[in-house]
Formats: sequence, C-alpha cells, structure tokens
Amino acid sequence: MDFTLMWEITPLLLKAAWVTVTISVMAFILGLFVATVLVIMRSSSFRIIRWPARIYISVMRGTPFFVQLLIFYYGGSAFGINLDAYMAGLLAMGLNIGAYMSEAIRGSLVAVDSGQNEASRSLGFSRTQTMISVILPQAAGLMIRSLGVLSVILIKGSSLVSIISVVELTYQAQRIISSTYKPFEVFAVSAVLYLILIYGVISFVDWLYNRYTRYLFH
Amino acid sequence: MNFDFTPVWENIPTLISGTGYTLFIALFAAILSLVGGLVVALTTLYGKKIFSSPLRLFIWLFMGTPLLLQLYLLYFGLGQVGILIPALLTGILGLGIHYMAYNADIFRATLQSIDNGQTEAARSLGFGRMQTLWFFIVPQAIYRALPQLGNNMIIMLKDTSVLSVIGVSELVLNAQFEISNTFRPFEFYIAIAVIYYILNLMLETSLNLFEKKLEGKR
Repeated sequence: MDFTLMWEITPLLLKAAWVTVTISVMAFILGLFVATVLVIMRSSSFRIIRWPARIYISVMRGTPFFVQLLIFYYGGSAFGINLDAYMAGLLAMGLNIGAYMSEAIRGSLVAVDSGQNEASRSLGFSRTQTMISVILPQAAGLMIRSLGVLSVILIKGSSLVSIISVVELTYQAQRIISSTYKPFEVFAVSAVLYLILIYGVISFVDWLYNRYTRYLFH
Repeated sequence: MNFDFTPVWENIPTLISGTGYTLFIALFAAILSLVGGLVVALTTLYGKKIFSSPLRLFIWLFMGTPLLLQLYLLYFGLGQVGILIPALLTGILGLGIHYMAYNADIFRATLQSIDNGQTEAARSLGFGRMQTLWFFIVPQAIYRALPQLGNNMIIMLKDTSVLSVIGVSELVLNAQFEISNTFRPFEFYIAIAVIYYILNLMLETSLNLFEKKLEGKR
C-alpha cells in the first residue's frame, strides 16, 4: 500500500466526486419532473394518455441503464443530434430514474387509505385540493423513503457515465491509474468517497423521514 | 435521419452468441449470489463474532460502492498483486459477490422476521439448534425472501451489460464489436435493448409463475 500516493490523489478525486454529486442532483431533479408528468399521465381517464406513460415506464425499467446510456451518447448521430458526454449522461440518468420514481410516487399515493380521498371529496374539496392538502402530506413519508433508495441507486449508477468519458469519480480514478499503475490504492480512495456519499445520503434520508413522520403519527 | 437495420440482421449470430453468454453469466452469478447470500446472512446472525463482523463489513462495503468500481478493483486490483483471472470468471465473481451482499441483506431481514415461537416450538420438540435452523427457520425465511430475491435477479440480469467494460464478450461487447465494423451504433444498441427487454419479460413472467406455484403448494 502506497499511502503517500493515496494522500496526493485525494484532492483530485474530491474534485471529481463533486461532479458525481452535481450530475446526480441534477438527474434527480430531472427525474422528479419526468416522474410527476408520468404519474399525472397515468392517472388520466383517457387511454391515449395513459398508455404512452405505461410503455415508457416498462421500456425504461425493462432495459439496462447502461444500454440506454450508450443509445443516448452514440445513437443520437442517427438523428443528426450529437450530445456531449455530460449532457447524454445527465439525460440518460434523469430519464431512467424518472421511470422508477414514478412507480415509487404512485406506490406511496396508492398506499394512502382510499377513505381519506372519499372523506375529503365528500367534504367538498376538489380533486386537486384533495391531492395537495390531504393525500400528498400522508404519502410524503413513504415517498421520502422510496425516493431515498432511488437516489442511492442513482449515485451508484452515475459511475457508469465514466464509460462515455464524463470526468466523474470513477473516470478520474481510471485516469490516475493509467499514469500511476496503482489500481488498488486509487480505487480504495474512490471507494471511501463513494461510501461517504452513499451512507451520507442514507442517513440524511433517515433523518428527514424521522423528522417528517414525528408530527404525523404521534 | 437514416436507419438501416440490415447490418443487424446480417450479424444476428453474433448477437445470439452474446445473448447466450449473458444468460450463462446471469445464471452462475445468480447461483453464487443466492447460495453465498444465505451463507453470509446465517453467519452474520448466528455465527461466531470472528466470522460475523468481517461479513457485516463486507455487506456494508459492497452495498455502499458501485458495481463498476468493484469490477475494476477485482479485475485490475488483483492484477496488481499478481493474481490474473480471466475476464469471464471475474465478471461472474464480481456480479455474484455484489449481489451476494444485497441478497444477504434480504435474507438477514427475513430470517429475523420469523416468529420466535417457531424456534421455541422446534427446540422443545427436541430438535437441535442446527436442525431447528435448517428444517424450520431457513425454509420459511427463503419463502418470504422470494419476491425481493426475484427483483434482485431481474436487476442483475440487466447489470450483466456492465461486464462488457472489463472485456467479457456478452451482448453489449458483441454489439460494440459489430458497430466498429458497420458504424451503425443506433441500430445495434436498439436491437440489444429489445433483446434485453424480452429476456427481462421472460424472467419476470417465470418468476411470477414460480411464486404462484409455490403459493398453491402451501
């Protein structure tokens, strides 16, 4: 083990870890947007609106994220679109996680007892009012948990965008290895950074969940 | 826009052989991850501390870092210390060990969820500690774990695509090989996405049928 090397490369890897964080955060926001649209589409009363959403979710969840990433990066040329690596990675991550998120959000909405909806509607609240002030606050606890799990999957999946040469944590690690020939040391440091990121997110989600549900159920 | 799927049809044997490899890898990695996961879970719960603590650390480490990083570490890191194993074996080991950690986590939860009365009843009927575990607790825990294990296996089938990165000639790498000859990235990636989708659908349907069949037996 070469500890001086590990110490020297830490700043470089920290910088790259920041790229991992930003691309994951932006993909998370994009995913939330996609998921919201999908959930609204799936609750529509028209089949023409429901079906595209269902097909989208099924295809996104039924094919590997890695292949989707390659299609976004290399396949665009068939349409005359050439996305740069960062854009392609971000889009692939966001559009993919959006499909999973829509299922998570729908699941937590369905989990709220239907009596809540009926009671609220019979008290004169409109459909939108019921959703915003009755259903969503109760579904949010479960939603925090399942979206938290997905954000961890998102961070771990972000390592794959290194394949299309986005300079994030895994890519930077490989670049350092190609000049130092010390894979074990470099990967150990990047593994530690991933562990900090992922268990950091997990504890944040737990904290958020506890804080939110404290007022809800007691 | 110009699409031409004829190169895909002409090179379909390469894709079929790739599909064969993908299924082969998925099968052996699944066996490794399921058997290993159960052993790890049993050891962390009932084993001596010298064995259980390192295995807990193993679960923590492997669930907190990306698969890609683990594959690199296995492939290049072991090379650094002079252990050279072929890419295919590295792939099966890497994928199997990664999901072993996830399966162990599931098994641990379901093993703990089995009512204590089961153990007490079996023990008071004269079964030994090992017998109680083996004949009463483990079968029930496996049954309860099945839906989540099936989910993991579906995710794992998709994750075999990542092995192309370390040079395992499965579906993605075979497609990339043909792309370098034909310069048709979009068509080939779409084709393999379709293949993955079909494989995924087949696995999902058979897992559902299997669960239904078991349910009937109980």
